[in-house]
Amino acid sequence: MTTVSFIAKNALRNKRRALLTILSVAVSLFLFVTLLVALRELTMPPEDIGASLRIAVRNKVSIASPLPARQLATIEQIPGVETVTPFTFFGGKFKNDESVGFAQFAIDPTKLMTIFGEAKIPADQLDAWIKDRASCIVGRDTALRYKLKVGDRISLIGTLWPCDLDLKIAGIYSGTLDDRNMWFHHKYLDDALGGESGKVGTWWVKARSAEDVPRVVDAINAAFANTSAEVRAETERAFQMSFVSMWGNIKGFISSICSVVVFTLVLVTASTMSMAIRERFRELAVLKALGFRRRELFAFILAESFGLALIGAILGAGGAWLFYSTTNIAKLTGGVFPFFEVTPKILGVAFLVAALLGIIASLAPAIAAARMSVVEGLKTLD
Amino acid sequence: MSAPIVAIRSLSKIYAQGEIQVTALHEISLDISAGEFLALMGPSGSGKSTLLHIIAGIDRPTRGECRVQEVDVTKLNESALADWRNQNVGFVFQTFNLIPVLTAFENVELPLLLTQLPARRRRELVTTALELVGLADRRRHLPRQLSGGQEQRVAIARALVTDPKLIVADEPTGNLDHQSAEDVLGILKELSSTAGKTVIMVTHDPRAAAFGSRNVHLEKGELTK
Repeated sequence: MTTVSFIAKNALRNKRRALLTILSVAVSLFLFVTLLVALRELTMPPEDIGASLRIAVRNKVSIASPLPARQLATIEQIPGVETVTPFTFFGGKFKNDESVGFAQFAIDPTKLMTIFGEAKIPADQLDAWIKDRASCIVGRDTALRYKLKVGDRISLIGTLWPCDLDLKIAGIYSGTLDDRNMWFHHKYLDDALGGESGKVGTWWVKARSAEDVPRVVDAINAAFANTSAEVRAETERAFQMSFVSMWGNIKGFISSICSVVVFTLVLVTASTMSMAIRERFRELAVLKALGFRRRELFAFILAESFGLALIGAILGAGGAWLFYSTTNIAKLTGGVFPFFEVTPKILGVAFLVAALLGIIASLAPAIAAARMSVVEGLKTLD
Repeated sequence: MSAPIVAIRSLSKIYAQGEIQVTALHEISLDISAGEFLALMGPSGSGKSTLLHIIAGIDRPTRGECRVQEVDVTKLNESALADWRNQNVGFVFQTFNLIPVLTAFENVELPLLLTQLPARRRRELVTTALELVGLADRRRHLPRQLSGGQEQRVAIARALVTDPKLIVADEPTGNLDHQSAEDVLGILKELSSTAGKTVIMVTHDPRAAAFGSRNVHLEKGELTK
């Protein structure tokens, strides 16, 4: 017999209780990891390499208010700007979809590869799209979802703009972080709105270097200050975060649920450990009589609690990692969570919580056992 | 005459229960020689278990001296006392107090986990101890698979396995039938007479006390003879 096997036998002496404890830790940590991943995805959307150079420019009053197309020339003249494209959300319904099933954006197709360089599309398809004003390109995920292929026609019913669109698919792209969008000519939208509309939703700008980004942001904001269409330029990250802030304090909300989960878990595990140790006071007194010291009993109880919590963490956090790695969460959530990645950092936090849980839950019974006198312990009833 | 293995001088133990003080032991002085099988007798509440606990180093007196093999156990700190118990005292309890999830072999091996002995040497010592109490064939049995008498013999093997000079037994036959009690007392007597162990046994049973080489009576915390 080794000390480890002695601890294991004690931890598993009441198999049903040990199993229930492990399962409660596992289920709670599964939920904990799920919440952390959701929180991360909501508050820190993943970025690609080009994101650090991209700047979004929107109407200062509201993103729903369009900007005048004449601003293009001014932005292009700002030092540090490599290129700029209009970027207008169309928001059309496709086929029998009850709502907007995927995002459609009107842009300048000649600027696509400069601004969103990570997009992969065959050269002939890109060329065909640029040449045909009435064509579009769709992301691979949307093409797969709706079984679309190059050459198909796609009709969109406008929900935000007073027009419908009829587009031919010129190409299918992939390689971006979100391969669900559809891109089409901004000029086609202008045509559909009855000629030159003179309005764009937002501008997307690519800076020449990371050092240029803050200067370009300031310069764009300054260029349109005190005009009829003041703008708010910000980095892509800041732009994404502004959407998150529209949902209110979601971070605080999810964090509070996480805290409740962990706190409940501590109570459950501490209660279980207290029961497990209290009913063994007599045995612990015998161990003391045989020569085991306070610190050894303390270590036994700590190791027992830690072990149960660790097994629970492996099942719960490990299970979450396995589940979310092998399940199409984007499909399950209708695209709300396109990635749902259990990162090493989140796994680390979950295991740290489990470790602290094991320690905290065992502290009270371990201290009680350590303080107990042998004579008092021997008087304890079995 | 050799020095006593246990030398008790003016030992008192007073329990405070609120404002009331209860004297469990009063000015006890007693010598116990090596190899002696001492039966501590007396009615319930006479202080015999308290005296045994102090000698064994699991309780402390209010005042007085208790030297075991020249070591005053009342002066040792908690940690030193734990080490001392492991090396010098074997315990046999009335209710056996085996760990229910461990086999007979593992229960006997338990005190050896505190030593630096290699696993092979530990196995040899446990096997020898179990053979001494006649339970080598029950080594893989859990306590619940043993009779009361067998459980107590496993407890004696556990008390012996570290080869202590002193074995303390608190009512070791209290939960046993007549035959099992005789077997256990026979083993304790053998340990005293043949192996030279000093055995101190608390009992209120005159038949058990008859196995001892000397009987000491306690009444209301004082030695009467």
